[in-house]
Amino acid sequence: MSRTFLPAPYGPPRTVWDRINPVRLIGELSETRYWMYLLLLPSALLITAVVLYPTLYGMQMSFREMRLNRPDLGTGFVGLRHYERMLSDPVFWVSLRNTAVWVTFSIVIEFVVGLIAALALNRNLPGTKVLAVLILLPYFLPNVVAGHMWALMLDPRLGVINDLLVRIGLLEGYKAWFADPGTAMAAAIVVEAWHSFPFFTLLLLAGLKGIPTDLYKAADIDGAGPFAQLRLITLPMLRTIIAAAVILRVIGLVNSPDLLLILTSGGPGRSTQVLSLYAFQTAYRDFNFGYAGALSVVMFVFLMVFAWAYIRITKVNQE
Amino acid sequence: MMAQATRSRSKLFWDVASYALLLLLAFICIAPIVWTFLTSIKFEADIVTREMHYIPPRVTFENYVRLWNQSSYPVLVLNSLVVTSVTVLICLFTGTIASYAFSRFQFRGRTELMLGYLVVRMFPAVLMIIPLFIVMRQVGLLDSTIGLAIAYTSFLLPLFVWMLKGFFDAAPKELESAARIDGTTRLGAMFRIVIPIARNGLLATCVFVAIAAWNEFLFALMLTTSQGSRTWPVGLQLMVGEFQLPWGMLAAGGMISILPVVVLFAIVQRAMVAGITAGAVKG
Amino acid sequence: MSTLTLRGVRKSFGLLEVLHNVDLELEDGGFLVLLGPSGCGKSTLLSIIAGLEPASGGDVLIGERVVNDVHPKDRNIAMVFQSYALYPTMTVERNMGFGLEMRGVPTAERDGKVLDAARLLQVEHLLARKPGQLSGGQRQRVAMGRAIVRDPELFLFDEPLSNLDAKLRVEMRTEIKRLHDRLGTTVVYVTHDQVEAMTLGTRVAVMREGVIQQLADPQTIYDRPANMFVAGFIGSPAMNFISGVLEAGPGGPAFVYEAGRLRLSLPEPAMPRGVAMGRPVILGTRPEHLTLGSGSAARLSGTIDVVEPTGPDTMVVAMIGGQPVTARLPPRVALRPGEPVELAVDTSALNFFDPESGERL
Repeated sequence: MSRTFLPAPYGPPRTVWDRINPVRLIGELSETRYWMYLLLLPSALLITAVVLYPTLYGMQMSFREMRLNRPDLGTGFVGLRHYERMLSDPVFWVSLRNTAVWVTFSIVIEFVVGLIAALALNRNLPGTKVLAVLILLPYFLPNVVAGHMWALMLDPRLGVINDLLVRIGLLEGYKAWFADPGTAMAAAIVVEAWHSFPFFTLLLLAGLKGIPTDLYKAADIDGAGPFAQLRLITLPMLRTIIAAAVILRVIGLVNSPDLLLILTSGGPGRSTQVLSLYAFQTAYRDFNFGYAGALSVVMFVFLMVFAWAYIRITKVNQE
Repeated sequence: MMAQATRSRSKLFWDVASYALLLLLAFICIAPIVWTFLTSIKFEADIVTREMHYIPPRVTFENYVRLWNQSSYPVLVLNSLVVTSVTVLICLFTGTIASYAFSRFQFRGRTELMLGYLVVRMFPAVLMIIPLFIVMRQVGLLDSTIGLAIAYTSFLLPLFVWMLKGFFDAAPKELESAARIDGTTRLGAMFRIVIPIARNGLLATCVFVAIAAWNEFLFALMLTTSQGSRTWPVGLQLMVGEFQLPWGMLAAGGMISILPVVVLFAIVQRAMVAGITAGAVKG
Repeated sequence: MSTLTLRGVRKSFGLLEVLHNVDLELEDGGFLVLLGPSGCGKSTLLSIIAGLEPASGGDVLIGERVVNDVHPKDRNIAMVFQSYALYPTMTVERNMGFGLEMRGVPTAERDGKVLDAARLLQVEHLLARKPGQLSGGQRQRVAMGRAIVRDPELFLFDEPLSNLDAKLRVEMRTEIKRLHDRLGTTVVYVTHDQVEAMTLGTRVAVMREGVIQQLADPQTIYDRPANMFVAGFIGSPAMNFISGVLEAGPGGPAFVYEAGRLRLSLPEPAMPRGVAMGRPVILGTRPEHLTLGSGSAARLSGTIDVVEPTGPDTMVVAMIGGQPVTARLPPRVALRPGEPVELAVDTSALNFFDPESGERL
């Protein structure tokens, strides 16, 4: 039987002010066993209100008819109808395929470039601190500005990249990168990679600093070259951090349609339509909240399965 | 002797390669920003030309002046400032104490709750935005800066708590014990001792959340519908769509809006980087 | 009068009980060392005495007062922490005076007390600095100064020397001893270092898995350990243990070991009292109670395994009855590994333990 532990931090209240002084009262409260729960209460309530409740609401919405522009249809329960519709919705399947392309290529490029930058920065050569700041900067820039900067540089009439490519002879004439279904996705992935590779640099650099230098000295003595050291020491030591970074980044890529919304709105045609964008447009443009909800739930389930499988495969949870 | 020479030659090779690579990457990272800046100080006639001008032949601040005086940009920026400040304040008041509780106390449900704060980041934004739209409309917070700020806490508050926890964890727990023996309450130990120690981390965390709120686009697009509460990312995007905003003015808008980000990032860069890493690594 | 009394103090975290019914009393001006390996509950016990953690049962008395539900600051204690726990945002002066500040002591009086304590610990030239600008030893002194300023009824030390390097640790140990002699306050001191326990304590409580194994003055703990755990934990090199059987032979009682092939004759006074003959026992003897010599009746025979000169002594490990036995011998003994050796045993300092329970016989 555990005793309640309520040591009084102050003597008994002596004046009226002692009885109502809020600092004193909260101080008194802080010595109770429930203090940590009190500290957590405001944020927990807020997260319940703005995350848990809306998410559950959204999930049940996916089983209902809910069209803001068609109040005549009511908001009745329609069971799995939205999910059934999805199976025969060609846009859904195209979006799914595009999401896979979008996430896979973005992650690979971001990871490789991010790792190379982190390895180079970790050599701590003089003057590279400034370069580090410049290299990390894109990650902190707004999607809207990042999107328009690249739209400006890739513009079919006055884009500087077109001009440069023509000048060095790689391109015949100016190209409309975002208007051509064959290049729109690739161009968007370049912008995305530019924007987010510093995230990997940031995390991997921190991970690299945590690897004992003795390991590399030992490998030097054993005669392992730089690539062997990378493969046998660096990457295994970074395993946990790589897994964390990949999961966080995949969540971001799958969930946020921002950049594609700004760059292409899914076009031309459906060539850059990803799942999150489709769900957003279904809600924002068509006001079909029920179907948008169902699309989001499917996306969420995919993410959960991915995260679970990824952690299983990489076995990071063993540590 | 021979091995020594080979080794130093190989080191020299990698040093040179590193410099070359970092310079190239840094160039790629800032080239779009530089180009946007150059565009923003060109006359429209020098932007839309047959022959590309790499260096502006004439310099003008006309784009900035026109954007600021003839569009709703100042209002948008003001709205963004309000939303950002309110978001940071909410995180500061509710997130600091939550983070402190996670860092300092062992209690039933701690691990589960911390994991919960992490998992909510996996929830699709779209899934939350639609119900938030409905709920905000019901309680009259739709299309308001306060409502948008509250919506932002859905993904920024968990981030704030995790990031700040890394900074609190760095302060030894014995400090509270010492303070309580010295005569403070737990409340006093928190505010007089631990929070002052973590103030750099707190600042960095706030800046990170501020940048994220300042930059946010999707929630703002869905949850604001009028001039009264619209933030600059949405406003700028709509101007592009509706008025065929000239490139010069768009570039000027971009430069204005990233200025605070760049300045804040430069100031607290080091502490912030440490914090993001700590939060992410432990997650 | 006793300054600190614990009666049946228990502590559990969920189902795990980390302290079982701890009873102890510490007289006024005494220096109690809580000694044990990590995880034995000594630091938890200190936290309970300080009031930083509630006990799950039992009573803590400081002076005559039950302080179970008294806030740490009202227990009239001061504490020195392992990490020193100096407030990094405050100057040394404010750090030392913070306890008085919190108690509303006027500034002038506070400054005087801080200065006195700073002089005593020779840190008065550091008063304006922040803890971050101090060396480890200086931080240690300031942390002690902070405790002294308050002039408490009871000092608590939580492994205060474990973050210092070896040389400084010895220096500060002496300093703590000097301070205790000079101020005469009552101290509870937690450590896992047996040398600190032996040198500082007037009373030592050896703890293991939440139970006090033995509570006595240091010499008693060393000479007459209550069980094999205490015997093995105190002393370096550790006490030697040899299993065997007590037998009444033709030439008097003897300890027979190595499956009855070797015997060690014991004079009557060395025999443990009330132990039946023919009983298996474990004999414990400290390395310094073994000497070279075949003349003695009480001797152990074996083969030399390792010879380790340390300067003042040479440690010789011999295999006796298949078990390693260490002897502390004079320097420059001419012994080589592999040679047979005869070690004479000082039978006045023998310990016998029960092989089952490990308790002293």
